[in-house]
Amino acid sequence: MNSVLLVDPPMALQHHPIGASTGYMEELRGNWDALVEEACAVSSFVVELAALSEPELGPLADYLAGMPSLPFRYLSVHAPSKHRSMTEAEFVAVLAALPAFVDAIVVHPDQIEDPLAYRPLGARLVLENMDDRKGYGRHGSELEALFAMLPEAGFCFDIAHAWSVDPEMEVGEELLDRFAPRLRHVHLSSVNERSGHEPLRADHEALFEPLLARCRDVPWLLEAPPRYL
Amino acid sequence: MTALEDLAERSEAGFPNLTRARDTTRDGIAALSSRLDGLTVDADAAVVLFGSWGRGEVTEQSDYDWAVLVDGPTREAVEPAPESVEAALSIGDRGPGTEGIFGADVFCDHLVERIGLDADDNTNLSRRMLLLLESVGIVHPEVRDSCRDRVLRGYLDESVDDFRPPRFFLNDLIRYWRTICVDYVGKERRGGDDRKWAIRDLKLRTSRKILFAGGLLPILLCGRFRAAAMEGFLRESLDRPSLDRVAFAFLELSAVDAGVRAVGAYDRFLGLISDPAVREELAGVTRATAKESPVFAEGRRLGREIEAGLQALLFETRIEPLVREYGIF
Repeated sequence: MNSVLLVDPPMALQHHPIGASTGYMEELRGNWDALVEEACAVSSFVVELAALSEPELGPLADYLAGMPSLPFRYLSVHAPSKHRSMTEAEFVAVLAALPAFVDAIVVHPDQIEDPLAYRPLGARLVLENMDDRKGYGRHGSELEALFAMLPEAGFCFDIAHAWSVDPEMEVGEELLDRFAPRLRHVHLSSVNERSGHEPLRADHEALFEPLLARCRDVPWLLEAPPRYL
Repeated sequence: MTALEDLAERSEAGFPNLTRARDTTRDGIAALSSRLDGLTVDADAAVVLFGSWGRGEVTEQSDYDWAVLVDGPTREAVEPAPESVEAALSIGDRGPGTEGIFGADVFCDHLVERIGLDADDNTNLSRRMLLLLESVGIVHPEVRDSCRDRVLRGYLDESVDDFRPPRFFLNDLIRYWRTICVDYVGKERRGGDDRKWAIRDLKLRTSRKILFAGGLLPILLCGRFRAAAMEGFLRESLDRPSLDRVAFAFLELSAVDAGVRAVGAYDRFLGLISDPAVREELAGVTRATAKESPVFAEGRRLGREIEAGLQALLFETRIEPLVREYGIF
């Protein structure tokens, strides 16, 4: 009889440090203590606390302002990209006020109207490459223009987004060729035909391996549940 | 082209802070040499600088940790006397600290003959390791080189095996790194100048780590050679500053992207702590307030980028079997 306990986790999931982005933990949304506990089950070293929708941002900021005892050595906050209503200045002000122990603040390029407004985020600002549904931020040339105006910003390589734009992975390779020196972390998952994140597929793991090999020193954050848990 | 220059070419904008610091170091050494020009110096003695001078990372904030190194046994009268060096350098309160490691005569025979056991105290261990890893001769540099090579040969005896890292040297280096880490806590517990806590913490995360890695990597890479070839390889490696040794390893072990990121983070750290305003802010940061300080958080984040690059180099490249075999036990 087969047992899941006898199945090794995919090689990619043996990377260190690897951790969870709380965005996939839909049933716990809003309960930050519970989200942190769930993320710790994947790793206590790195985490991304995701406020994917703007109404989640205030509660997350309040939670972090309370200086909770968190074990993570790398803490990323994913800024909202849905249900936006704040002005850009208000939005940036809330992000800039996140406590100093937040290492990275991931912002989607297609959410940015005035790049210079994001300068107060300094080196904590991290820009992510977009999937094929988005009109901006998918290719290196588009991100290059943003980085020129935000020279301190880092790069979050969403490898599944790069695949959705180009399944041959040439776009992904070009993104790393251009922005490897800025790389801060990787978003790791597969994506389905609706560009929804889903657990890393075995064929994608093999396909992604050459590019992931260039990212061995940075955290990998899972945007879908790991298959082996 | 050096390994550091090679990595700089693969980065977006080079390593401007390192480049500036290398220029400052070169100009500073020339200036100090001329200040010491009229000093009487014994033929077997050298005036040696340690720390950022040996790393090639001098900034306006750098101290002057110097010693008179004698290639021989202990003796009473050494020229120049420490007070003569102090006066000639005219560095005011930027001279060696009060711990007695620097600003004194150092006898090479101690460094070579007292490895291990009680006589090898913290001072002797620190002097020996810093001579090997981050020192530069200002007067009679050939004497400093001779002492460095004597210390090196002290580790490379008949016990060294072909294609194995020299374990005696490796263990002493690891012992030194762990001593630094333990002493960091010891200093904190002893109390004293709290204004130095943050910069001491950040240096432990960055320049001290590069210092350790700059010794560890060449020692591990000895695993590629027969025993007879190791001294030459180590001497050639140690002729370069720590960061260049680390950069060489990143290139040699095909971890170029990680190398660009790690050295880039180190470059930004150097830029950060070169800023007097940052130094002043860090002077007000304590362990209790560290989580709230953006400047400290940035320094810590850069330290983690450096460490992550080094860990990837040690555990994700073909050097990993040597780390596994020799790094822990």
